[in-house]
Amino acid sequence: MKDIIKIGGKLAIICATAAIALGLVNAITEPVIEEVKKRRLEEALARVVKEGQVEEIRTVERDQIEGYYPVTDSEAEIIGYVVKLIGLGYGGDMHLLANYAPDGTLKDVVLMENKETPGLGKKAENPQYMEMFIKAGGGREIPTRKDMLSREDADSVTGATITFMGIANALKAGSDFIMELERE
Amino acid sequence: MIKEFTKGLIKENPIFIIVLGLCPALAVSTQVVNALGMGAGVIFVLLGSNIFVSLLKNFIPPRVRIPSYIVIIASFVTVVDLLMKAYTPTLSDNLGVFVQLIVVNCIILGRAEAYASKNTLGRSVLDALGMGVGFTLGLLLIALAREVLGAGTITLFPMGNFNGTIRIPGLVESPARVLALATGALLVVGYFKALFNWMETRKKGGA
Repeated sequence: MKDIIKIGGKLAIICATAAIALGLVNAITEPVIEEVKKRRLEEALARVVKEGQVEEIRTVERDQIEGYYPVTDSEAEIIGYVVKLIGLGYGGDMHLLANYAPDGTLKDVVLMENKETPGLGKKAENPQYMEMFIKAGGGREIPTRKDMLSREDADSVTGATITFMGIANALKAGSDFIMELERE
Repeated sequence: MIKEFTKGLIKENPIFIIVLGLCPALAVSTQVVNALGMGAGVIFVLLGSNIFVSLLKNFIPPRVRIPSYIVIIASFVTVVDLLMKAYTPTLSDNLGVFVQLIVVNCIILGRAEAYASKNTLGRSVLDALGMGVGFTLGLLLIALAREVLGAGTITLFPMGNFNGTIRIPGLVESPARVLALATGALLVVGYFKALFNWMETRKKGGA
């Protein structure tokens, strides 16, 4: 019995020391990590929103949609919505930030955090990749299958079809969500 | 004494000879920069855990030595993870869950159990450095083969005018894509293992 207390006590000392050390490190790094996250989001927002003022985020409990930011012009009139989307890619979740017009037409989109394969799915981080989706939604349907793309675009997504479908489905969900939101 | 360091490089190379830590070696060797980052993380953790295990070898009760080692290792891994997230966020994204998985990297627990718990501080430090550098070298070899042949690029850190990516003409237009995928990792590791085996048998005077 005495033995067990001694062994357990020693293990507890090791654990406690480790916990204190980690607490100290966390206290130093936490504000820096928060800063990085904030900066990345701001950069992405600046990339998709060319005009207008981005309002506070509204969170949404919905599949693939984390929340949205209404975008307003100088008269506080809503001119669009930036939607935070989660698409399912080859390497897990892909975080997207998409700017839609009120009728659900996609204005611009960036792929943020993702774990796609470098050289294949990671290509979706290039702004040129997203051109096949821009101005779709609303009137023209967002291409969610490869046979809905032009030959050139279909060639460029070949080899990373899962990435393409993940992004396309998320963008479509976002577009549908905005159209629903506007109808209400 | 110096042998404690050099043995990890080739003779007891953790990846190709002892065949430990293959899981992260396969997963993060898609780009050279990831291999370097992972290598640095492993060296840090290995050094930290070897130092503490060696220092505490008389304090840690033998019956709970494995839990004690795991606590020490996990603490260092968490430190690496937090530091990477804060100061090299892109690298942290690329390595993903594999930073946290250093905890269960057999190289580290293996060295703590087989070496640091039985040897002096100085020797344990050299052992950690040797094994860590050996792991990094192995990872770097795999990543170079996979990125150069599989994507036609070498990705390093962006510095000044240099955007961080060297593009190799001729390969970047039509690379052997399969090497960048998981299958390619196994193929490349297999060939390197064969190469190391061949060197070993030749040295022994075998066929």
